[in-house]
Amino acid sequence: MNHLSMEQLVSLRGPGTEPGTAEARRHVETCELCRDELDRLHQRVARMKALPNLQPPRDAWPVIRRRLADDRHRRRTRWMGIAGTALAASILLAVVVSDISRPDTLSATAAIDTAKAQSRALESTIDRYNPEARVTDGRTARIAAELEDRIADLDRQLEVTQMREGQARDQQLLQLWRERVNLLDALVDVHVTKASNVGL
Amino acid sequence: MAETLVIANADAVLARARTGDPQAMEALYRAFEMPVYNLARRICRTAEDAEDVLQETFFELCRSIGQFRGEGSLWGWIRTIASSKALMRLRRNKYRDTDELEDEISPTRKEDAHLRMDLESALDRLGETSRAVVWLHDVEGYTHEEIAEMMGKTVSFSKSQLARAHVRLRRWLGEEAAI
Repeated sequence: MNHLSMEQLVSLRGPGTEPGTAEARRHVETCELCRDELDRLHQRVARMKALPNLQPPRDAWPVIRRRLADDRHRRRTRWMGIAGTALAASILLAVVVSDISRPDTLSATAAIDTAKAQSRALESTIDRYNPEARVTDGRTARIAAELEDRIADLDRQLEVTQMREGQARDQQLLQLWRERVNLLDALVDVHVTKASNVGL
Repeated sequence: MAETLVIANADAVLARARTGDPQAMEALYRAFEMPVYNLARRICRTAEDAEDVLQETFFELCRSIGQFRGEGSLWGWIRTIASSKALMRLRRNKYRDTDELEDEISPTRKEDAHLRMDLESALDRLGETSRAVVWLHDVEGYTHEEIAEMMGKTVSFSKSQLARAHVRLRRWLGEEAAI
């Protein structure tokens, strides 16, 4: 038998079930040159495995974290679009079938303005706190995300309600704005107290 | 190597990562960033490509961590993602396998007879495909069947690439025998 090819030598490191492997093994036992070649192959592989680990030149985690946050935001926005459409349809249906009492228009408008001002103030507080730039634990992140989702829901409802006409509109807007203020207040609480007493 | 990596409270970290806990995800990144980068760097031509593979790997890992059911080793799962990303990067960049070109021009280059490289340089000199096969098979322990599947090639292709890679490494490392 001729000396073994590299392909045969390489296959000898495997389970040895391929055709011709048994014959090649017998050859290696009797051929010093092929045995040496196989030894060198083993040594080469061992040296490759022993090569030092290469380290990344910079920390990639901040970039990955930002990409994950962007991705999460995109997915949530997409979901909100679907959910918002369904919500708008259900609200319109509710308006058709329900008999809503007349609000006191003037006092409702003033109360809405107050709620809007409170809402703006709370949003400024959150912006100043800048939660995106802070490290947060998983529970806080989940609760904050849940609150943000509910606020986004409310914003969608506000948009829909704003476009409506009729006596009940202002009263509904007032109710939504007050709920928004409560949620923003809870969100401030989550970020500042790290969700310790929110009770969600 | 990475098979022996241990994360403190691995099950708890995984469970938290599945719920989207950013700290748990970062813990996974810290535990596996080096073996993933090392694998990517050994396969890709440039450090920049390897960094991209590192990012892509952990971005996908964090998005799909819920799909990992713990049936195999965590490193095995991560390594498969990393290998796949690295091979994808090779295909995208369409590197020219320079050693194959050289062989076409001059199958027995005279200077190779006097060439004696260190192993790092010799590996670096291999063509992209050959280097990927030799690294995945000999160091990471993938079978030819697994490599063929990841590369979209045949098992024979993987075997011949491995053999050719070793012929070249042997020559460049000055290990030519008198066979």
